[in-house]
Amino acid sequence: MPPAEPVLAAREVTRRFGHRRVLSGVSLELHPGDALLLVGPNGAGKTTLLRVLAGLLRASAGRIERRGCVGMVAHASMLYDALTARENLRFFARLHGGASRGRVDPLLERMGLSAWADERVGAFSRGMTQRLAIARALLPDPDILLLDEPLTGLDDASAEQVLAVLGELRARGRALVIASHQLAELMGVVTAVGFLSLGELKAVESTAGRDVAAITARYREVTGRA
Amino acid sequence: MRDALRAALAIAGKDLAIEWRTKTALVSSVTFAVLVLAVLYFARDPTAVGAVDVAPGALWVTFTFAAMIGLNRAFLLERENRAMDGIRLAPVSPQAVFFGKLAANLVFVGTVELVSLPLFILFYDVPMVRGLPALAGITAMATLAFVAVGTLLSSMVVRTRFAELMLPLLLLPFLVPPVVGAVQATARILADRPLSEVQGWLKLLAAFDIVFVTISTFLFEATLEE
Repeated sequence: MPPAEPVLAAREVTRRFGHRRVLSGVSLELHPGDALLLVGPNGAGKTTLLRVLAGLLRASAGRIERRGCVGMVAHASMLYDALTARENLRFFARLHGGASRGRVDPLLERMGLSAWADERVGAFSRGMTQRLAIARALLPDPDILLLDEPLTGLDDASAEQVLAVLGELRARGRALVIASHQLAELMGVVTAVGFLSLGELKAVESTAGRDVAAITARYREVTGRA
Repeated sequence: MRDALRAALAIAGKDLAIEWRTKTALVSSVTFAVLVLAVLYFARDPTAVGAVDVAPGALWVTFTFAAMIGLNRAFLLERENRAMDGIRLAPVSPQAVFFGKLAANLVFVGTVELVSLPLFILFYDVPMVRGLPALAGITAMATLAFVAVGTLLSSMVVRTRFAELMLPLLLLPFLVPPVVGAVQATARILADRPLSEVQGWLKLLAAFDIVFVTISTFLFEATLEE
C-alpha cells in the first residue's frame, strides 16, 4: 500500500527577517496521526517555523504544503480581552462557518470553562486564557494543530486535561506539531522529536522505545547545549 | 460571496461590540469634537467674520480629527493578544476583513458625526433645515473616502512602534483632497446656493470614494503580512 499523503509538509523552507536568517532549509512531513515535538534552545526558530507552517508568515524560500484546516495555539492568545469566553468563540466560529458554530459550548465544557463562559477574557488567569486559546484553535476541528508551548501557565490538573485532548486528537488522526521545552510532560502524546538549532532542523527522530533521558542526551548531542 | 459578507459582518459586529463595551474611542472622539467646535467658535471675532464663513472649515476639522482617534483604535484591538492572527487562520479573504473593519469604522465615525452635528448647528446657528439632506450626502461621501484610506493606513502602521503618531502623519496628505471638496460643497450648502453649484464637488468626492475604496481593498492584504 502506498504511504498516505502528508497533511503537512515543509520543503527546504528558509525564512529571513532582513539579513537575519531565522530558518534555513527546513524540511519535514507530517501524516495523519503524527505528533511532532519541536525542541531547541531559545531563538532556535521554533515559533517562526510554526508561524510559517500555519501560513501566518511567508517563507522566503521553499514551500509549504497543507492538506486540510490548520488550528494554532501561540504565545499570544489571539483572543479579545473585552469579550467573554463565549463571545470570543462565537466570533471565531462565525468566521470558520460550518459545524464550528455548534462546537462553542461543547468546547467550553471540554476545556473546563463552562462556569466562566460569560466572563470577560481580560479577567481570566493565564491558565484559563490558555485553555480558551486551545478551544479557539479546536473550533474548526483542524486536521493540523500547531501549538507553541501549550502547557505554559497551566496547573497540573489543567495540563492533564490539555494532554488528554491532544492525545485524543492524535488518536483521531489529526497531525500535531508542538514546540515546547516540556519534554517529559509531552512524551505520552508525541510520536517524534525534531531538534531545531540556529534555524536548522538537525534531525527528526521517532520517540518509540526511547525515554526522556535518551532524548535529552540526544538533544545535547545535536544542539551542543547542556 | 455569502461567506465573505458573513465574515465582514462578524468582524464589524465584534469591533462595535467591543467599542460599545469599552467606549474608549467613542468618549475620546466625542469629547474632542465638542472641544474643537467650542474652541473654534469662541476664537472667532463675530464682528469681523460671520459664522457661516468659518462653519464649513470648523465642521470638517472636527469630523476628520475626531475620526482619526477612532481609526487609530481600529487595529490596536487586533494587536492586543495578536487577535488578527486568529482571523487570518480562518478561511476569510483579506477583502472581507477590510470591509468588516471599514464598516465598523464607518459606523463609529458616523456616530461621532451624528453627535457633533447638532452641536455644530447650535454653536454656529447655521440654516440647516433645507440643506440637511445635501449636507448628509456630502458627509457620507467624504467620510467614506477618508475612512477607507484611514482603515488601510491604520492596519499598516499598527505594528510600528509609534502607531498613534504615524497614522495622522500618513493620513493627513490623503485627507486633503476629500476634505477640501467637502468644505467647498458644505460652504455652498450653508450659503443656500443652488445644488447645481455643488455638483462638481460631489463628482469629485464620488471619484475619491471609488479610487480610495478600490485601492485600499487591493492593498489591504499586504498590510497583514509581516
